[in-house]
Amino acid sequence: MSEATLSSSSYLQSLLNGQARPAASTQVWLNQLRSSAVETVSELTVPTTRDEEWRFTDISLLTKVSLQPALVSNNLTAADIKPFLIKEATTRLVFVDGVYAPNLSTAAKKEIVVSNLYSELAKNSAVLQQHLGSHAEIKGNAFTALNTAFLHDAALIMLPRNATLKAPVHLLFIASQKEVVSYPRTLVLADNGCEATIVEDYVSLQDEAYFTNAVSEFVLADNARLHHIRVQREGAKAFHIANCSAILSRSSNYQSVNVAMGARISRYNLNIRMAEGAECSADGLALIKNRQLADTHTFIDHAQAHGISRQLHKCIVGGAAHAVFNGKIMVRHGSQKTDSQQSNHTLLLTDKAHVDTKPQLEIFADDVKCTHGATIGQLDNEEVFYLQSRGLSETLARNMLTYAFGAEIIERINVNSLKHSLEQTVLEQTSTQL
Amino acid sequence: MSAALQNIINQPYKHGFVSDIESDVAAKGLDESTIRMISAKRNEPEWLLDFRLQSYAAWLKMTEPTWQNAHHPKIDFQAISYYSAPKQKPKLKSMDEVDPELLRTFEKLGVPLHERMAMAGVAVDVIFDSVSVATTYKEKLAEVGVIFCSFSEAVKDHPELVKKYLGTVIPTSDNYYAALNSAVFTDGSFCFIPKGVKCPMDLSTYFRINTEESGQFERTLIVAEEGASVSYLEGCTAPAFSSNQLHAAVVELVALDNADIKYSTVQNWYAGDENGVGGVYNFVTKRGLAQGVNSRISWTQVETGSAITWKYPSVVLLGDNAVGEFYSVALTNHYQQADTGTKMIHIGKNTRSTIVSKGISAGKSNNSYRGLVKIAPSASGARNYSQCDSMLIGQESGAHTFPYINVRNNTAKVEHEASTSKIGEDQMFYFAQRGIDAEAAVSMIINGFCKDVFQQLPLEFAVEATNLLSFKLEGSVG
Repeated sequence: MSEATLSSSSYLQSLLNGQARPAASTQVWLNQLRSSAVETVSELTVPTTRDEEWRFTDISLLTKVSLQPALVSNNLTAADIKPFLIKEATTRLVFVDGVYAPNLSTAAKKEIVVSNLYSELAKNSAVLQQHLGSHAEIKGNAFTALNTAFLHDAALIMLPRNATLKAPVHLLFIASQKEVVSYPRTLVLADNGCEATIVEDYVSLQDEAYFTNAVSEFVLADNARLHHIRVQREGAKAFHIANCSAILSRSSNYQSVNVAMGARISRYNLNIRMAEGAECSADGLALIKNRQLADTHTFIDHAQAHGISRQLHKCIVGGAAHAVFNGKIMVRHGSQKTDSQQSNHTLLLTDKAHVDTKPQLEIFADDVKCTHGATIGQLDNEEVFYLQSRGLSETLARNMLTYAFGAEIIERINVNSLKHSLEQTVLEQTSTQL
Repeated sequence: MSAALQNIINQPYKHGFVSDIESDVAAKGLDESTIRMISAKRNEPEWLLDFRLQSYAAWLKMTEPTWQNAHHPKIDFQAISYYSAPKQKPKLKSMDEVDPELLRTFEKLGVPLHERMAMAGVAVDVIFDSVSVATTYKEKLAEVGVIFCSFSEAVKDHPELVKKYLGTVIPTSDNYYAALNSAVFTDGSFCFIPKGVKCPMDLSTYFRINTEESGQFERTLIVAEEGASVSYLEGCTAPAFSSNQLHAAVVELVALDNADIKYSTVQNWYAGDENGVGGVYNFVTKRGLAQGVNSRISWTQVETGSAITWKYPSVVLLGDNAVGEFYSVALTNHYQQADTGTKMIHIGKNTRSTIVSKGISAGKSNNSYRGLVKIAPSASGARNYSQCDSMLIGQESGAHTFPYINVRNNTAKVEHEASTSKIGEDQMFYFAQRGIDAEAAVSMIINGFCKDVFQQLPLEFAVEATNLLSFKLEGSVG
């Protein structure tokens, strides 16, 4: 056992020392943030299935992949990223293997800032110091700590008071090299009453193994409204571990849709903390096949009264894939009049597919409405029969029902072209599986 | 409103008296000699002593689990007396020979030991501290071949049966407290329903802890052979002591082909006072093995007592078409903590399980439902439905649900739902409007909330449970 601990802590050390850490910044606070993260990493080990939070997700495969430092040279051209572009998005930040690619990005730098952190660091030092790294908890979280230890650049969005962004902002994280680790980072600061749609998109240009370790922080001031669409379509052999923290101030509104369909093993932790009267929705779809594992952990924290949360998480599991869902809802002491609903539905397409789910409620206030529901099963034969009686072949009937099952989540995406392309992907994937 | 509600909850515990009965209490502490002493006192055969010693060895290697959602100071296992028995002669022939003080105790608790006074059609085995003091209707049951006796008698009279089934459902090293129980258990009940027999009356065991600083470690084993069926009831109380008593029981059920076992519990151990001082730690391992085809095991529990209740009556659904059921009401008040639920392990084809859990938390208490529904790859066509509802009374209480659902077979269908509610002002107003006072209204609302579970209880128990609940809640509504 001590040997195992040793190897898992040395794995983190190898990640920590395997590549050059960012050069010291002119900002003292940033250097401090990094060094405390380095310290935290040294105290931690890679989580195993003996840890309650990782009970069903075995990431020992990851520790067996040797990862090299990413080469910085980026010679991607606009043609390379064309298939991933979202036509509505007029502003776009592109990161290749974790490194900002200004030649591929279209930034905005005036009142509304959509840019990379590095170039804004000096100008907005005070506000960045206040938020960067203070919402994504590194304590006890080896992966957030690692990301923070390598924090050098990030996608940065700063929305001033009452600003409304009509077009979505596209954050595109591209993996172009094999056997490298990248640390994408996102910080979104939405001031009072502003409104925007942000698409966080992870894609790959190659099929070999690599590791994406992403951290995002969303800070919503009073009455701010954000749509956060997250699409994880990494390569088939990739490892994707991501942590996202959303901090909701009074009466703010955070709508999140998370689609996970790529990666050999993926894990997404979404933590939402809600102040008085805040509203959130945290919807998700995991569409996996072959030997994929997709794990979604969400934690919706009703820290104050009058919050409203809605969650619909669906999994479509084919091949010998494995879906994990852990949805925790906390209603803290004094968070009266909380209204929370959670549903989790899983469709198992094959006899090797399996799922582990745990919808968890922790309630410390008496005047609340909280419900959760979970179902697991396969397509209803009666429904298939109904479609067949209308002249559809069985395969087509099954595809249509599977597609409809997943489309309920995709439809919640408010960017039309992205919605349509994802619908297409779901349709293709469901028809190849049967 | 809440003041009257408070008053309704905060009623004193009426079973908290201590009976002045001369007892034979072993010195505190636990080591191998304690186990040999217990075994010797009970004239046990060699194989049972080996079973105990093996369990003790396993226990020594284990560490106390800490994952539960309940907190207690570390238990000093050396500060517990592992054996306490009313001082008495060899086993009695008739009820008339029982110590009158003991009879009075049970009469006070509403458990009549005289057969002529007994509730019609219920056979009772009575466990006082560590030993069984009386079993009623034994002869009548023997006529149809049903064996119902204390565990020690079973070891003496039916060693082959005990040996065949003991530890088969819950292995000695299953968990920390089961291992402890297997090492030091003192008495308990044994039931054996032979092939094809429908047990003519309900069987019941009544547990009473009387000695302070003693632990109660009883062992229950129920075996229903092919086509047999039985309904079994269990009740428990303890005096009010300011120290905590440990109760770590093990209950094993085995159902063969087409057999049917229904196990009902009304647990009312002393819960501690309104400041959380004293009370019983109820750490129990209960598991049923639905081994045969079409077998059925049903757990019904009403948990109102204990400072901490920590148990998961489970069913392993091994036989094809086996059925597992779990119906639970857990009520916590003051500083009580409950972490209870069930495990349904589906292995056989077309196995079905139903879980209905109702948690009520009042005062500063915490009530958790923790459950596991596991569908093995072999369990084609398995079906589970779970429902767990919580009700919170007062702002200081907490309700938690931890349902684990692991599915390895795509022909299985699993559904889980949970909700949280409170007693609404509008509900209370509706009752008031009809001239029903707050106490009666709360009692009715709660009984309505728990109806799905109470329906599963045998009639006498259902009445007792209903009263118990309204009694426990007296003072909490207002």
